[in-house]
Amino acid sequence: MKFGAGAGFRITVTVFGLLFLGLFFLYPVLRVFSASFLDSSGAQLTLHNYAKVLSSAFYLDSMVNSLWIGVLATVATTLVAAPMAFALARLPLAGKTALMALSILPLVLPSFVGAYALLLLFGRAGIVTSGLHALGIPFGSIYGTPGIVLVYVLTLYPFVLLPALAGFKAVDVSVEEASQNLGASRWRSLRTVTVPIVMPAILSGALLVFIDTLENFGVPFVLAEDMPILAVEAYKLFVGETDTNPGSAGVLGVLLVASTAAVVMIQRRYLGRRRFATGARRSPPLIPLSRGFRALATAYCWTLVLASLVPFFAVIVISFLEFRGPVLHWHVSLDNYVELFERSLRPLQNTLFLSTLAALGAALLGVPIGYVVTRARTRITALLDIVATMPFAVAGTVLGIGMIITFNSGWLVLTGGWFILVLAYVVRKVPFSVRTSSAILHQIDPSLEEASINLGVSPAMTFLRLTVPLMLGGIVGGMVLTWVSAASELSSTVLLYSGQWQTLTVVMFQALESTGAGLAAATASLLIFFTVVPIALIYRLLRRYEMSLL
Amino acid sequence: MTAVAIEGVSRAFGAVQAVAAISLDIRDGEFFTLLGPSGCGKTTLLRMIAGFCELDCGVIRFGDKRIDTLAAHRRNTGMVFQNYAIFPNLNVGANVAYGLRARKVATARIAERVRSALKLVHLEDYEARWPHQLSGGQLQRVAIARALVIEPEVLLLDEPLSNLDAQLRVEMRGEIRQLQQSLGITAIYVTHDQEEALAISDRIAVMRAGRLEQVGTPDSIYRNSATPFVAQFMGITNLLEGKVLGHEGAHLVVEAGATRFRIESVAIAPGEAITFSLRPEALRVLGAGEAPPPDWGVIEAQVARAEFLGTLTRIEAHLPDATMLRIALLDQTIETPAAGQTLSLCYDPRRVSVPERS
Repeated sequence: MKFGAGAGFRITVTVFGLLFLGLFFLYPVLRVFSASFLDSSGAQLTLHNYAKVLSSAFYLDSMVNSLWIGVLATVATTLVAAPMAFALARLPLAGKTALMALSILPLVLPSFVGAYALLLLFGRAGIVTSGLHALGIPFGSIYGTPGIVLVYVLTLYPFVLLPALAGFKAVDVSVEEASQNLGASRWRSLRTVTVPIVMPAILSGALLVFIDTLENFGVPFVLAEDMPILAVEAYKLFVGETDTNPGSAGVLGVLLVASTAAVVMIQRRYLGRRRFATGARRSPPLIPLSRGFRALATAYCWTLVLASLVPFFAVIVISFLEFRGPVLHWHVSLDNYVELFERSLRPLQNTLFLSTLAALGAALLGVPIGYVVTRARTRITALLDIVATMPFAVAGTVLGIGMIITFNSGWLVLTGGWFILVLAYVVRKVPFSVRTSSAILHQIDPSLEEASINLGVSPAMTFLRLTVPLMLGGIVGGMVLTWVSAASELSSTVLLYSGQWQTLTVVMFQALESTGAGLAAATASLLIFFTVVPIALIYRLLRRYEMSLL
Repeated sequence: MTAVAIEGVSRAFGAVQAVAAISLDIRDGEFFTLLGPSGCGKTTLLRMIAGFCELDCGVIRFGDKRIDTLAAHRRNTGMVFQNYAIFPNLNVGANVAYGLRARKVATARIAERVRSALKLVHLEDYEARWPHQLSGGQLQRVAIARALVIEPEVLLLDEPLSNLDAQLRVEMRGEIRQLQQSLGITAIYVTHDQEEALAISDRIAVMRAGRLEQVGTPDSIYRNSATPFVAQFMGITNLLEGKVLGHEGAHLVVEAGATRFRIESVAIAPGEAITFSLRPEALRVLGAGEAPPPDWGVIEAQVARAEFLGTLTRIEAHLPDATMLRIALLDQTIETPAAGQTLSLCYDPRRVSVPERS
């Protein structure tokens, strides 16, 4: 009675959600924290691990490098993407529809494949590098900071582009007109009115970029060479550590989580005080441009979009060429694929199987949670909301380490099978699933559900029969995106996979460690294929919900 | 068809007392309106009856049956929502059938009842249409058919006309009233529009800040407003403050705005302060040499501004001490008065009401 209408359904979802995330997310992460405070046998409390790691120049460097690269990549991405968002929203461009469609792709293409593509083209033995050398043109190194930042910019710019685009489109043009009417030039109006209004949207995108760079494992793994990076070193330490208690890896994990948490908090503080929605009913009109400026703006957008996609395209082309060892020969052949499939079909099957289960699991867990936290604001659902958003700020490496520590022994042993991989994917994708369903629900009037209940259908049945069908488009879109990103998940997979449960990403990871360039290219192409095809199939659906998909 | 008893019902949201210890008896077959400004608690009270809002304390009964402890979907109320809440993924027929399906009515019976419900709201041929093909007024009719087809014990209407344009609003309210009367169903109607409430209701409860200000027939609420708030909320009025001078025959003489008013006798002793309400339309202009009806009060006021509105002329005039007096003249037997002109006005003392100070 005190919990009111539909309490049963609400309480079930809340309790189950908190238990699930508590057991498979909070507890493992907590174990990483506790590991960092325990000695090598895991019996005694100690600060020795922190002393060891923080007094090591190498690990301090890894921290500094991670943050520095993160800042550089975030600033560069924002500076590149915000003007493009403005151009797409307000300027007459050639091929705008195609630009919009293509600019979504980097969001789902696996970034470490992008890094690998860059390596194939501009690496030490890269095609372009060799070509330039043959022509006598010197070419600098793309290893380390420049290459990593470049890959981040090219693969993460949609994180800023999409919210900024929506922001620019939502600016009520009368605000700009008011500014001009009061005597400001068009340029001044843009600078003093439009941009400040859109700023929170841009910054929320920038935050996503920063967090992604901090926790990204694959890109630095491919491109960092000797440069220590937090997420990579945590992985290496954990894999190399022979003690019972992985104390040092734990410390790096804690540092990683602490950095992202700090950034999220700073951003929340900043955005909490700023709400600038002007609620335009129509998109503002396009700004007329001279032919020259128009060509310039068009060229700018197309350059960015193509630069982000060409490397992926190049990987696919290269995968059909013949390799002898690491050396590329310009013969078209299917050898790489033959080699990949002859070894085993299991990685391909595993990837399809695990991603499908992950997409289903994330939706089954995330959609009801999204519903409850959106429709019933209580203190306990607010807590659920926070817990379900937290995996977003926890690096896959840390979650992977935590899951191994937790489920390697004890009353619940999960390591060594497929289930733990699915669990990790579900946990990592739940925030996305929750936020997508919450965003879709905001577009569905709550009185529809009340009408259904009023007509005699119980709240749980109303959710199943009315709300879910109304949300279906968004749910399917979200599931496809979860599927795609689970298929290219690397950071927790490399920790959690075992024996026969290799995925395509693991095969690619191993090929990168050895010199199987042809195998890596073929695997990378398969991953690209499994990313682009589903996205193309549901593209129209995604357009409607694109904003909620970030 | 059910009487609704609301007994000591309260609800607070944080520090705000949305509904404060309200008790109401709504009769079987009555058209009962909850009227008040936004935030007065009228929608909260309606949602408590529907089961969408919990009670902090109190009891709600339909007849003898206590319903506030029932889940919303077991209460058998038919609710019409402000924004219609038509399911966009179902066509008109399926929308109307929704509640019948939930009640596991036999398929053949459903078709029949859907058809007759749609006939009731004059949408016979719209069964296969989709919501996005309908106008606002038609959606409203679907919403009403959907609420009525389940034969609810009580029909609940939450500002159902506020999204329609003015003319359609007047048309629809007539239809809703007619439908309610022909079905003899108990209806509880929420609105902030006093004219709508007056036009449609058997009885009205005027609410303010979670409390009841007055419950009564439209007539009594308009003519004998119980509080100054009700007097002012129910259309335009002159709320005058003055002092009782004494008795004069059956009447009380009151001084307000440096003018002597005659009003019906009330229990206020001479010398005490009094607030009374005199509706603008109760005032009549006396032509030169014209005598007022016997026993009527006569006052004088100077015109400050006159607004000619066609059917009506609204005048703002000043009493001798500059207190504003609003006058509404329905018939144009005289020319629109000019500013500065002094009018001689008369009124029936029975049209003066004395609301209690709240």
